[in-house]
Amino acid sequence: MTDRAAISNPKTHYGNGKAATRTFIWQRMTGALNIAFALFFIWFVVRLAGADRASMVGTVHNPFIAVILCLLIINVCIHMRIGMHEVIEDYLDEGPLNDLANRANTAFSILVAVVTILAVAKIVFWG
Amino acid sequence: MAVRSRPLSPHLQIYKFTLTMTMSIVHRGTGIAMYFGTLLIVLWLGAAALGDAPFQVVNAIFGFWLVQVVLFLATWVLFHHMLGGIRHFVWDSIHALDPMGREWIVRLQLAASILLTLAAWAVFVWFK
Repeated sequence: MTDRAAISNPKTHYGNGKAATRTFIWQRMTGALNIAFALFFIWFVVRLAGADRASMVGTVHNPFIAVILCLLIINVCIHMRIGMHEVIEDYLDEGPLNDLANRANTAFSILVAVVTILAVAKIVFWG
Repeated sequence: MAVRSRPLSPHLQIYKFTLTMTMSIVHRGTGIAMYFGTLLIVLWLGAAALGDAPFQVVNAIFGFWLVQVVLFLATWVLFHHMLGGIRHFVWDSIHALDPMGREWIVRLQLAASILLTLAAWAVFVWFK
């Protein structure tokens, strides 16, 4: 925690400036890419909503579509991890609970990406 | 240089709500909703990977009317958050930051997200 001396000292600063700038840039890059991915995702859902498994496998079997799906979920997971990190930063003081929340955030983001990519890979290679 | 811990966000109750502030909260809310909404993608593609029977179950769940309502709202959430991101790009490039501009860009965002959602469902679902 911060004491009075640290607050009154003009040489102190909040957090890691380089990480903050990197986060700012990554959130905007992934956000801009997400506009294109959202359009692809709408096309994908419209094409396959309510379809049988054969059409799903037939569509995902296309290497372009499979690769785009994987890139999409990676991009989305990077974007949402940064977003949730900022929410955690806003409402939890730095400490054990903050660390735990950030680790849970990272674990969830990785899990979503990995399970999705495994599902796509299974469909592509084993039908 | 000593590093001090970052300050928390101040409590909401002390503010008078404005349009831009409300939309900022909605942007965060829609982002959090989609964070957990990614589980729907995991569910859909995961079931497709597992086999015919699980895929039919998930398709039946997605076809249930209450879930269809959720998916309709999810469409709005996606469009609204996307347009909110574009609004931030506009603001990042130092445009529409004056009192008139920021009020109107937020109204435009809300109108566009509702229209896009209705248009998408009308074209792809209701009048297919």
